[in-house]
Amino acid sequence: MIKHIRKIPYVDIGLQHRAISKELLSEIEKVINHGQFVLGKEVELFEKKLADLCGVKFSVGVNSGTDALILALQVLGIGHGDEVITAPNSFVSTASAIKLSGAIPRFVDVDNSYNIDPSQIEKQITNKTKAIIPVHLTGRPADMFPIIELSKKYNISVIEDAAQAIMGKYHNKPVGSIGDIGCFSFHPLKTLNACGDAGAITTNNKLIYEKLLVLRNLGLKNRSNCEYWSMNSRLDSIQASILNVKINFIEEWTSARRKNADIYNKSFSDMNEITLPSENDRNYSVYHTYVIQVEKRDELKEYLNTNGIGTAIHYPVPIHLQSVANDLGYNKGSFPKAEKQSKNIISLPIYPELKDDDLKYIIQTIKRFYQKNENR
Amino acid sequence: MKIDKKTIPTPFSYLDKQFSAIDLYLDDIKKLVLSGDFTLGKELEKFEESFAKISKVNYAIGVASGTEAITLSLKSLGVGHGDEVITTPTTFVSTVGAIVATGAKPVFVDSEDGFVIDPSKIETVITNKTKAIVPVHYTGNVADMPAIMSIANSYKLPVIEDSAQAIGASLNNKPVGSWGSTGCFSFHPLKNLNVWGDAGMIITNSEEIANKLKILRNNGLINRDEVDIYGHNSRLDTLQAVIGNRLIKTMPAITQSRIENAMKYDSAFLKLKLPIIPPTRRKGVKHVYHLYMLRCEKRDELLEYLNDNQIEAKIHYPIPMHLQKASYYLGYKEGDFPKSEADSKCIITLPAHQHLNDDQIEYTIQTIEDFYCK
Repeated sequence: MIKHIRKIPYVDIGLQHRAISKELLSEIEKVINHGQFVLGKEVELFEKKLADLCGVKFSVGVNSGTDALILALQVLGIGHGDEVITAPNSFVSTASAIKLSGAIPRFVDVDNSYNIDPSQIEKQITNKTKAIIPVHLTGRPADMFPIIELSKKYNISVIEDAAQAIMGKYHNKPVGSIGDIGCFSFHPLKTLNACGDAGAITTNNKLIYEKLLVLRNLGLKNRSNCEYWSMNSRLDSIQASILNVKINFIEEWTSARRKNADIYNKSFSDMNEITLPSENDRNYSVYHTYVIQVEKRDELKEYLNTNGIGTAIHYPVPIHLQSVANDLGYNKGSFPKAEKQSKNIISLPIYPELKDDDLKYIIQTIKRFYQKNENR
Repeated sequence: MKIDKKTIPTPFSYLDKQFSAIDLYLDDIKKLVLSGDFTLGKELEKFEESFAKISKVNYAIGVASGTEAITLSLKSLGVGHGDEVITTPTTFVSTVGAIVATGAKPVFVDSEDGFVIDPSKIETVITNKTKAIVPVHYTGNVADMPAIMSIANSYKLPVIEDSAQAIGASLNNKPVGSWGSTGCFSFHPLKNLNVWGDAGMIITNSEEIANKLKILRNNGLINRDEVDIYGHNSRLDTLQAVIGNRLIKTMPAITQSRIENAMKYDSAFLKLKLPIIPPTRRKGVKHVYHLYMLRCEKRDELLEYLNDNQIEAKIHYPIPMHLQKASYYLGYKEGDFPKSEADSKCIITLPAHQHLNDDQIEYTIQTIEDFYCK
């Protein structure tokens, strides 16, 4: 007899879309009917909704979260010869954006929250440092107050990489509203997701906002006049129309993610083999990913896989140890925390559509793995 | 001032006409939305294959826009900070924006009668910093590729063809984009082959360049976990590829209809002997008339007159690239590129798209005749 294996993929975007496909298609149809595919009214509407959600005055829709970071650096005039401080455990695009602007990424190790350790930033600041990019990794806000303090002391900018953290809050302040600029991604796997690449920038600064409107549109002030040579990075009207539907669900979806995280946290709380994501009162985490540190990570991942449970590692190789970063002069041991975490972390399924049964099965399977190991 | 005859609105834009069979598109989109295959999905692969086939090349790589196509092409060839890239000031701003995005410096060469780079002037600006030549197949015309390739080859410089406006164009039956190291295309909603948002494509015959471009457009990732180069996030949305896969089938008919419209204008203006003159049509060139652009006297007055009579004529563009504010740091001044500058003052673009009917074309010609004879 073939044993029936339950299948729980790490992500399943189709599940989300089955529930709202009618609304999505009717909004897409509206865009098709008016034909304003580039910077149409849907983009403006989404920008307004996003600014409201993030508690900022302005937002600018762009082509991706990576482009959001590139344009944020560009609008601040950061480029060749400058240095920008960030964490080495992010998705590569944080460092790429810095490199593409012409600047040099300077890494600072993370702490137990998987976010940049503010106590280690100051010693990396030089007279070339122009910005700090804290990453709200996994959807948990970085410790922003000390970072803001440093930025004031040294007169450098703060760009929040909030790609994974929409709806996250730090001391009740939404991410993207704390630094000078916030950068968001709406990639299909994000908690607020388009049906393709999409991103946005948030700010309270009117000058930055107005310049960004020009920079994302090839530097064109109007049809004939080009102020700055710049990239083509517009949020598609169709993707904005999709986001306008989904943004109405983001609170509900975020609550569901937090509820799932809570169930995991409670179920694993008595297990020595597992280090849970730290929760505290000052942070509202949105769990783009639910990351735990575990013993025997690779074996556990394999065991879960054979039991039909998809997992992921975010990320197995820190940026400073990627071949691309050879020229930055870091090596193994440069950032012990990030390196150690990269070997122990695993991301469990956390999407809102997970059923209680699914969670129970995942939890039981993990417990079974460690019990087996104990009895061996 | 309006003229005393029946006005026939003759718009420049036609996207609303594209959607008579909207349900087919929506069905395709619905399937995709339910599948969740949004990033580098199957429909994109299919679109890339079809596009490579019509371009008679081995590889096609979908990217986020025509601008990104040029930036990534330059990067795949190692162009960066401190390098120089040759192009023409008679183009859309994105050609220059794309060069500057790599860190390189744009170096301009004047254009010739067909609104494309003048090959006889290229050699004088080549220095030891020159790393590439970017001819622009502006308006859908084809630059003099044999001459450009011969210069490029003698200096061992790669050529990147900005073919954003020239999908379907060819010279001596060789498609644009297949002459140089790479060819760059745009599917912006106003292009001859368009999708419903920003999108672009790079074509090449080099496996090495194709492989590098696939990494460059996808954050430099060689697999899920390893990063080989600092890349861009510049993927052609699979959702847009779905539209591209439907519209690519209509491209031969679109091209044919634009060419026919242009020929009607051409023969009328040559016959009427008005001070509005089409550029010389070169032998062997299949011009696809993304823009039906010609030179005329009293340009600004004519433009206003046509617009008043509901003919949506336009200027592409009134300011050459070297005189844009963005170019100040490059040190060019008025007089540096006489042809490009003179053209910017006398060019006009008439509607020539595939949804125009004979009445609209006849009305446009008649209105121009009225303007000059009044």
